[in-house]
Amino acid sequence: MNKPNYTQVGRSVPRIDGPLKVKGEAIYTDDMVLPRMAYGKIKRSPYAHAIIKKIDYSKALELPGVIAVITGEDGPNKWGIVPQTANEVALAVGKVRFWGEGVAAVAAIDEETAEAALDLIEVEYEPLPVLLDPQESMQRANEVRIHEDAPENILHAGEQLFGDPDKAFAECTYVLEKEFHTSYVNHAFLEPHTALASFDTPSGQLQMWSSTQVPHYLHRQLSIVLEMPMNKIRVTLPAIGGAFGGKGEASPADFCAALLSRKIGRPVKVTYERSEVFATNKGRHPCHMKMKIGLDQDGYIQAIDFDNTLDGGAYAGWGIVVMFYTASMIHLPYKVPNARARVRRVYTNKPTCGAMRGLGGVQPRYAMECMLDEMAEMVGISPYELKMKNAVESGYLSVSNLHVPHTEYKKCLQTAVEKSGYLEKHGKLPFGKGIGLAGGYYISGTAYTLYQAYKPHTTVLIRVDTEGGVTVHCAAADIGQGCNTVMAQMAAEELGIRYEDVHVVSGDTETGTFDLGSFASRLTYASGVAIKDAAAQINQKLKEVAAGMVGCRADQLEIKDGRFYSKFEPKKAIEWEKVVDVYTNAVGTLVGIGHFSPPRLKGIDLTRGKRVQGANIGHSPTFGFSCQIWEVDVDLETGKIRVAKVTEAGDCGQAVNPMSVDGQVEGSIMFAMGQALYEEMRLDAEGKMINASLHDYKVPTAMELPEIDTTIVDSYDPTAPFGVKESGEGPVQPTIPAITNAVYDAIGVRFTDLPITPEKVLRALKEKQALNSECSGS
Amino acid sequence: MYLNDFEYFAPKTCGEILDLVGRLGTKAKILAGGTDLLIMMKEKMLKPDYLIDINDVQELKGISYEPGKGAVIGTATKISEIEHSDLIREKYFALSQAAGELGSAQVRAMATLGGNSCHASPAAETPPPLVALGAKVVVKSIAGEKELPLEEFILGNRKTTLAEGEILTKFLLPEPAPRSASRYSYIGLRDAMEIDAVNMAVNLALEDDGRTVKSLRMVMGSVSPVPLIAVEAQGILIGQVFNQELMEKAAQAASVEANPISDIRASAEYRREMVAVLARRLLQQAFNAASGTKEGNW
Repeated sequence: MNKPNYTQVGRSVPRIDGPLKVKGEAIYTDDMVLPRMAYGKIKRSPYAHAIIKKIDYSKALELPGVIAVITGEDGPNKWGIVPQTANEVALAVGKVRFWGEGVAAVAAIDEETAEAALDLIEVEYEPLPVLLDPQESMQRANEVRIHEDAPENILHAGEQLFGDPDKAFAECTYVLEKEFHTSYVNHAFLEPHTALASFDTPSGQLQMWSSTQVPHYLHRQLSIVLEMPMNKIRVTLPAIGGAFGGKGEASPADFCAALLSRKIGRPVKVTYERSEVFATNKGRHPCHMKMKIGLDQDGYIQAIDFDNTLDGGAYAGWGIVVMFYTASMIHLPYKVPNARARVRRVYTNKPTCGAMRGLGGVQPRYAMECMLDEMAEMVGISPYELKMKNAVESGYLSVSNLHVPHTEYKKCLQTAVEKSGYLEKHGKLPFGKGIGLAGGYYISGTAYTLYQAYKPHTTVLIRVDTEGGVTVHCAAADIGQGCNTVMAQMAAEELGIRYEDVHVVSGDTETGTFDLGSFASRLTYASGVAIKDAAAQINQKLKEVAAGMVGCRADQLEIKDGRFYSKFEPKKAIEWEKVVDVYTNAVGTLVGIGHFSPPRLKGIDLTRGKRVQGANIGHSPTFGFSCQIWEVDVDLETGKIRVAKVTEAGDCGQAVNPMSVDGQVEGSIMFAMGQALYEEMRLDAEGKMINASLHDYKVPTAMELPEIDTTIVDSYDPTAPFGVKESGEGPVQPTIPAITNAVYDAIGVRFTDLPITPEKVLRALKEKQALNSECSGS
Repeated sequence: MYLNDFEYFAPKTCGEILDLVGRLGTKAKILAGGTDLLIMMKEKMLKPDYLIDINDVQELKGISYEPGKGAVIGTATKISEIEHSDLIREKYFALSQAAGELGSAQVRAMATLGGNSCHASPAAETPPPLVALGAKVVVKSIAGEKELPLEEFILGNRKTTLAEGEILTKFLLPEPAPRSASRYSYIGLRDAMEIDAVNMAVNLALEDDGRTVKSLRMVMGSVSPVPLIAVEAQGILIGQVFNQELMEKAAQAASVEANPISDIRASAEYRREMVAVLARRLLQQAFNAASGTKEGNW
């Protein structure tokens, strides 16, 4: 299908939220102060696993300025983003399962008093053995049980079989099997979790302001924990300082603020310290993976066998979803006719793992792209050639029934290879310098809600009148990714007006229409469908009025650049505002309402025609693709890896705001580079985090920022609204393997665990040297 | 993250400070930049009853220099002033480099030279170059003042010789020897905002021949509780014509002299190895600069 000539979509426009943020005028939740507002603080466990014998807060209540104290008993209903596995509580009940778990919360007249009161709460613990390693956790499950209902210390385990991998492996010419281990990392968003609750006792209404990326799911969880109907709760998002998945669930800050506010009849604000962000983590799952890949004599992938043990930490959270995502990620972006995945998500006494940018993809992508790099060497061709051979094409249907309506993945590979000079450099640079290639993909939304429901995932209401102009209403969460801006661009495009003239009302469950939330890179696609639907209704009504004004049939009218005109006699035209004026005078405010429901795709083993457990996860209306090529210099004396250059090419369909896409890609590169080279949460033997600060947890700084060359490849998905796909999570996928492959090219060592620290590099260089001299000596 | 209650003083003269520290003793803490002190107070590691803010005391601030005699740096001089001082860059390059690596730009704008030595963190940036440059500190009390080399002032992790009633007032840096150069570097995971796994400063002076090492100070940080002078390594090069073989020997000697521990930032083994790497690189750079070969002071 030919790409339409867009005027508002495809424009690099400044972000709607930009000016206020740059000027420091954006209001974040913690900036808000309400009359009579109290401050909440959470008392946290110094043990990673212990029975709570007794909590005595009488002394805290005696401290002048303390208004109330709550414990787990005040809101014991279990909550969780996935209802089937919900096992979290606002504050621990009877037992703590990780270091830093909340055991009580205080409301006081100021933060200082609240903090002082925490020291006066006396908690008696009976420490239990601490399990920090998933293997140990499974082995010692009969002796130490983290959750009563999980006798093996496993949240869930699954096996997915597609085709006949065993038979296929037997016929393969090249088979490689390796183990990979990924690290325990946190999102490190700038704004800590913060929530402000205001419960009005006479009306029984709760107003929440919260730093969340899922207002709807927060809304639901509040309803469960507080035992209040959803229509008595309103969730509003002030400006959000980043989330990256870490605000993709409710947090105890939300529940404690709400429970305390209801208890005292005053507004209560709870804002975390950075150490509390780490203590309540919800970052990426460390994965202990075994992967086996088989190629035929020509280098075509015939089978993949994937085994993954996910270290989930103390609670369920997004765990089961992340687990099945890791299983689904082996089916793309290459054609894999036979596959098996065995996955299990294990409880340990650590702050819980959850959703993090590129959820479920980053770990298997690391294994797969590194192994294909190695297998290209076995076959004797370049990794580029191997990946081009196996890359999926538009219309591809995986053996697991994943449907790829459109892809420019090969174009991504070609573009990055040409722009970086990969083929001229790979394998030919001096020792210590290297270049590495990796590809990746990600979903553009999901096929299902997390709870059983088949309602539309997004609803957009567009309101037009002479006073407000055009206002787009949707309870979507702009967490810094820029959805408000792209929604305005898409609405303007469809209505034939300018982006600058569209207002967006989002992030509020009362003034905004329904939206599931900002996760799974779903919003541009989902809101795009709903916007088109809503705008069509408005255009139809306005055309009927305009037709009479210009004297032609309504179905002959086009709307562009703020004018209605006859497509046959363009001189017959009238300004858009005049039509709105006439319509409003005659009828009043005009609204259009549009919905998005994703296709209900199923995970099926197509060779047998059988449904596969957990394989509905991973389906998406469309997928984004990308390739990254990293060039590194390894300091052979210190082991330090310096990144010289990154060349990226991505298929995000039609970019709605190219400048924003560039920002997402550059941000993704820095984000994933942190996990590859620097970041890791470290625990001591008792499970206490020893680097719970941004001082000791090392995210890359501006000094580590490499030269980045990004290309948005020409792409348009004809099945997608405005041809769009995701661009915020796909680009984190190739980073870690591309760096790892570049390090291999530089020093001949393939790293299979993260992060690749200077110390590990130096040790590997020495081992290699020792091996070499041994070989040459014998 | 709240501070304990304390009484705050902002004296205007050195005399007033001495009076206060004499009177309040160990219950008081000097507030200079506050970049270490306030964090320790927020984390409840320190709960002083009194804070004596010395930022209004002009005589404790600033950099002065007299040709032939050297420089005097007031204890309350901001790290950013040292980092951006042309004089320090020209005469005491290692100190200029270290100042530029301390914390972040925001921290450097607040932190002081005196604070960095008085806090006596083994990983501190400025003590190694100061010791390498032969800096002395002036310690003052109501009873009078005394001068001592910085390496004698710092006694251990967060320990100094400062007794009750004493304060550090200034640093005295001798005039650099002719044909000398100093260099500083560190090893850390990132290129900014790093707590050094190892750091080192080298101050090397050559004889008139431009080849023979006349004097040498090599000081290592983060590999011992105090800035550690690599005495053995220095001895290998002093009086000798500088060459690769001796340089390598000196680097190895420094590595043996280091006394590192394993912690979250690096293992002892890695630190020991990095001492040799830094020694090699810094000795070569300092020699090149002092002998006028290749690169100059930049």
